[in-house]
Amino acid sequence: MVNITINGKVVRATEGEMLLDVIRREGINIPTLCQHDALEPAGNCRLCMVEITRTEWDGWKKYVTSCLYPVEEGLIVSTHTSELHEIRKTILDLLLANSPHSDVLQKMAEEYGLHKTSYEPNLEGDNCIMCYACTRICEVLGKSAISPVMRGHEKVIAPPFGEEPPDCIGCLACAHICPTNVITWTDENLTRTIWKKKFELIACEKCGKATISRDFAEYLIEKRGLPKEYFNTCDDCKRVELAQKMGALVDKAKEVAL
Amino acid sequence: MKFQFEVKPSLCTGCRTCELACAFSHTRDKKPGRSRIYPIAYAPDKFVPVACLQCDDAACVKSCMFGALKRNETTGAIDLDRERCVKCMACVAACPFGCALVDEGHDNEIVKCDLCGGDPACAHFCPTKALVYKKIG
Repeated sequence: MVNITINGKVVRATEGEMLLDVIRREGINIPTLCQHDALEPAGNCRLCMVEITRTEWDGWKKYVTSCLYPVEEGLIVSTHTSELHEIRKTILDLLLANSPHSDVLQKMAEEYGLHKTSYEPNLEGDNCIMCYACTRICEVLGKSAISPVMRGHEKVIAPPFGEEPPDCIGCLACAHICPTNVITWTDENLTRTIWKKKFELIACEKCGKATISRDFAEYLIEKRGLPKEYFNTCDDCKRVELAQKMGALVDKAKEVAL
Repeated sequence: MKFQFEVKPSLCTGCRTCELACAFSHTRDKKPGRSRIYPIAYAPDKFVPVACLQCDDAACVKSCMFGALKRNETTGAIDLDRERCVKCMACVAACPFGCALVDEGHDNEIVKCDLCGGDPACAHFCPTKALVYKKIG
């Protein structure tokens, strides 16, 4: 265990833990965009920046991304100083310059008193902030169907060669995790389209309701050894089935008792 | 100490008080549709409350590729870590009893019974005691 000071309060933390986790556990709210508990921290959005210092540093201080900074004994952390406010405001200003239409960024910037970007806005921006949450979650899933391509201002998140990604299973993890909701998909009847690839959705055998994509179900069956028949019906029908099974047991017990 | 739900379908009237208790204790919302427990009619006028069975070898835990579902050793329930969930619906599709639910209209969050941290509200409010949470063994 190590002792650190956050905003003047001494806090105990486990060695190897990241600063952001400790700060959040203390109930202190720091804005983040690329952070998600299912992902390894990456420090891409830079918003979780905090100020650190030590008594022996003689007044010197450092600004670090708290999601990537492991706790150390004797660390003195400040999370909400006027400098940090300016830093976060500048980061949001820059992000907003590249994605002026993003609702999420606009809302966050408003909180920092920023109504519009002070830079030349990129009106053709697609709201992607290059946080790589989508590619990282795809990696966690074990597929890595999408990746960043090109460099510099040309960089985009895309499937290989801009074609239908062969490894994509249509699970929508990338779309759900995207902090600025850039990745779009459509579900029409039993066809899901994401990254220009079409997926067949499993229709419930009883009521016809669409569940997850067949490729995703097959991946789960193969990877996690789940029985195939679990995926045949939707959750509503499975619940009714369970009730009927329980009811049958009760009726049987009654008959035996009589 | 181990606790378990004791369900007596013969006493269940399908009044849906458990639904309300569940929805309110979890969401502070008075909509029974947001509940994690549902009394379902298995025959005309015969009801049985259905909720997560907290399986030992749970399909939902296996299906979650992001480690969001974990057994809570204190309560024995399988808890959903909302911070790790990416709402891919794998658990909803995989649960053989359909007890991992989607809170439609509320950001499609996944919800499941967490035994209210060891003291289920539904059992407290069941007027006919068809649903009792009691010590076993």
